[in-house]
Amino acid sequence: MKKNDNFPRRSASSSASISVSGRTWKFGDDVDTDQIYPGKYLPLTDKEEMARHAMEGAEGGDDFIEKVQTGDILVAGKNFGCGSSREHAAVAIKGSGISVVIARSFARIFHRNAVNTGLPILVLEQAEEIQPGDALEVDVERGIVRNKTQNKVYHAKPVSLLEMDIMKAGGLLAYLKDTDKHG
Amino acid sequence: MTIIEKIFSRGAGKDVKPGDYIWANLSLVVMRDFGGPNVVQEYREHFDEHPVFDKRRVAVTFDLHIPPRNEVVARNQRMLREFATQQEITLFDVNTGVGQHVLLENGFVKPWDIIVGTDSHMNLLGAMGAAGFGMGTTDIAGAMYKGKLWFHVPETMKIVVRGKIGNSVTAKDVILYILKHVTTSGGLNRAIEFCGETVERMNLAERITLTSMVTEMSGDIGFIEPDEGVMAFINSRARNRVEPIKADTDALYTKVYEFSVDNLRPQIACPHSPDNVKDVDEVAGTKVDQVFIGSCTNGRFEDLKIAAEILDGNKVKDGVRLIIVPATMEVARQALEAGFYEIFLASGAVVTNPGCALCTTGHPGIMAPGEVMVSTSNRNFVGKLGKGAEVYLVSPSTAAATALTGEITSPDTEL
Repeated sequence: MKKNDNFPRRSASSSASISVSGRTWKFGDDVDTDQIYPGKYLPLTDKEEMARHAMEGAEGGDDFIEKVQTGDILVAGKNFGCGSSREHAAVAIKGSGISVVIARSFARIFHRNAVNTGLPILVLEQAEEIQPGDALEVDVERGIVRNKTQNKVYHAKPVSLLEMDIMKAGGLLAYLKDTDKHG
Repeated sequence: MTIIEKIFSRGAGKDVKPGDYIWANLSLVVMRDFGGPNVVQEYREHFDEHPVFDKRRVAVTFDLHIPPRNEVVARNQRMLREFATQQEITLFDVNTGVGQHVLLENGFVKPWDIIVGTDSHMNLLGAMGAAGFGMGTTDIAGAMYKGKLWFHVPETMKIVVRGKIGNSVTAKDVILYILKHVTTSGGLNRAIEFCGETVERMNLAERITLTSMVTEMSGDIGFIEPDEGVMAFINSRARNRVEPIKADTDALYTKVYEFSVDNLRPQIACPHSPDNVKDVDEVAGTKVDQVFIGSCTNGRFEDLKIAAEILDGNKVKDGVRLIIVPATMEVARQALEAGFYEIFLASGAVVTNPGCALCTTGHPGIMAPGEVMVSTSNRNFVGKLGKGAEVYLVSPSTAAATALTGEITSPDTEL
């Protein structure tokens, strides 16, 4: 288990974009929050402990947590994060070291939870073309996805500025505290 | 502008349009006995003992595990009581009922409000012209601290309902019929406005039945323009000045559905999805073990009245459990005065204290594997009320008729 310090925090002076690179972990359509974070672990409150169960219930997720490297990228099909509204799903993925989740579409509450907990996400129409293990380079702010293995470049739907500010701050509560300080 | 565009424009202090991401000021932030303890933990972790943004605009409602069923729940409720005392915020304790209903009875809800809470059916407040949203722990902790949250302004779709519904057909049958066509994903990232003569004739309880099930369409929020009757209810309880709300005549809708309900038969959502809807006639005769009348969708006085009229002087079928739960203590008192308790108890029903009751596992009334329940609630997902149990969603009239025969029965059947 690696600690998730891969996410660049916003410094007072910079407006640096979020650029990440890593290997692809690929999942299918309609991966629900019970697959991302099984209901039996709901009582856990420690974030590192929660991260140990990320993707545990998903097809192809058995050895995810042993093998995932900090900075790796999770790619999925449509409606990622559907089902119950548990915030644990986004928290566990972030804690596992995943730097960005790319999917064809996200369920509404997961989308909200990801932004609020500081987990970068991108909506990409061609997510299915990306294969397991592909090396990606992602500029989250501009929505540019470079597939170095397949030598392709994709343009994802850009994240709104408002959401980007929250993600860069590390999540909603950190953002609200920040805005207290900086006005 | 549509209703949601107007509300978000006022909340954001600038004109907004669908697709915009905005920060909007909140009228009310609510947490309940489930979810609330996590909110308090997160709030304290980040903001310590910092006062909430406005103690008149934060409330706690207890409606799920009431009174507490185990020590964990009891400790959680104590934590919320201590937090409420320390922060000087209003807490509705175990003797009140379903949160949204308690709030609207106590003058906490009015048109133009933006209200967020830890309940997936907060959006039923659209029946009062208020924008209610169910949200996660982090959202609610942040909302309590700052009094504002970010929103994506949704497109609005319009659902027009025309025609006169028959005697044994209710608002629940109408919304189940709509769900059948709109489906459980048809409202994704959208607001909904219900209109048309059928909707306009509905009272507040019926309007709540419609808007509560926007959740099951994956919709953000469902509105009905408050009429004179609804405004009179709101005015009689409001703590502040109340202003009506309606969409502009030139508002833009992304999609319009039109339904005619003149010949609508009683409807039933079969296992295991709220949009798996059929005429009750098609599944009539299916044996039933338990019947539930209540919930945030069908727990108001008017709903209990429909049930009381059918149960009056009759007995629940041997071997069938009928469980009736008023939405709130106010509803319970009205039902007591109207003589419904006498009817319910004489019929052999169990009447429990007001609350959410048979909404999910962990509550009294859970079923054994293979058992069948007919419920006036809003969800019938696999395992929601016990592993291996089957749940059918119906109106209070179909539920009451079914309790008397022990098999799924249309309310217009000669009993």
